[in-house]
Amino acid sequence: MLALLKRDLYLALYSSSSFFYTSSFFVLVLIILPFLFGTNNVQLQVLFKGIIWIGLSLSILLTMERIFNADYEDGNLDIIIQRYPSLETIIISKYITHWLVYCLPLFIILPILSFLFYVSLDNFFLIFLNLFFGSLGMVFIVTFVSALTLGAKRTIFLKAIIVIPLFVPFLIFGTNLESWPILLALSMMSFVLSIYVSAYGLRLYVE
Amino acid sequence: MNLRLTNKQINIIEKANPFLIVSTIVAFTFGLYFSLLQSPPDYIQGDSMRIMYIHVPSAWFALMAYTILAGSSVLWFITRNPIFSIIARSIAQIGMIFTLISLVTGSIWGKPTWGVWWVWDARLTSMLLLFFLYLAYIFLWKSITNKDLASKISAALAIVGFVNIPIIKFSVDWWNTLHQPATISKLSSPSIDISMMIPLFIMTLATFLFLVTVFFIRLRIEILDNKILRIREVK
Repeated sequence: MLALLKRDLYLALYSSSSFFYTSSFFVLVLIILPFLFGTNNVQLQVLFKGIIWIGLSLSILLTMERIFNADYEDGNLDIIIQRYPSLETIIISKYITHWLVYCLPLFIILPILSFLFYVSLDNFFLIFLNLFFGSLGMVFIVTFVSALTLGAKRTIFLKAIIVIPLFVPFLIFGTNLESWPILLALSMMSFVLSIYVSAYGLRLYVE
Repeated sequence: MNLRLTNKQINIIEKANPFLIVSTIVAFTFGLYFSLLQSPPDYIQGDSMRIMYIHVPSAWFALMAYTILAGSSVLWFITRNPIFSIIARSIAQIGMIFTLISLVTGSIWGKPTWGVWWVWDARLTSMLLLFFLYLAYIFLWKSITNKDLASKISAALAIVGFVNIPIIKFSVDWWNTLHQPATISKLSSPSIDISMMIPLFIMTLATFLFLVTVFFIRLRIEILDNKILRIREVK
């Protein structure tokens, strides 16, 4: 498990997306905000809560082809599955990698971002909690959709059509500051769903 | 693939088809006569309310179609009989069209009632999301070239979508509750008048017959499609 995780992390960080890239992506998505809506402090504070979720979903959605597709196309997935008989181990390793590479940078720069957008300290903690639980659930969802669509032609738009309706509950509760327990519940539910469906999808494609 | 079984099914479908088409036309004639000429106009909304007789049945059957889609996907998982996968596929397209009809008629109804074409309220938004769930199912099936695999994968997606519908519905309801409360579902004291209930009932029946007719036509096409696929594979 640890060796697999190490391999996945090395690959993700070496190939194209270092920590720096991901965090720059979040900053750039948020920089659009004042350009689009002006520099009214109160308005920016309200919009920040929404745009941060758009940034998070984009960063998870745009990179979902890296979860299984690369390994599947060069045949490594077959070897990994032979090496680790329990598919759940592989899937959990993918969850951790995807979250660490594409979500964690957001949480590291979130203090700076909320400072830039005049978010008070209390709200900052609530936004942090919301984003944390929401991002876990979104990674679970993206992983099983990616496992199901392995054989489909490489169309990120098809995946977006499948994923975004499933993201809707997270986005709705995510923008409400007090609802982090619901987000936690949603994430746990999607974990249960995701681990079975991803294993089912992987088993189908590898056979 | 049990070809003999599907041949029999095609025969039944072919025999049933003319009866279904005729009964659909008869039911729609009666239904439209009652709903457009016999029933009274609403005392607030006037004649614009009459679009309800199309809107409400198609919304019901849009939801019912997803239930059938998920149900036949589950049955497919249990029995592995390809006919359930074929049923799921044919009902998906019909369900998508019914969702679209209910969205469009609802929007036309909304213009004189609310003054705008679209209101971001809970029911409209969740219907829109249902439309995209159907779309995802159909596109996923189309985009996987190995059709055996495609039916396995899209069955899983249908079940996931069905599990998610209550969650989406709940969250969207929580997000916004502007819409008028449900009128038909209150069985004890329906707040809809009997003079409107009868045409609505006939129109529901007509829409149901229409759904069954189109479903059988689609089913036949999908079965034949499946056969062609098998024959190509053997060659």
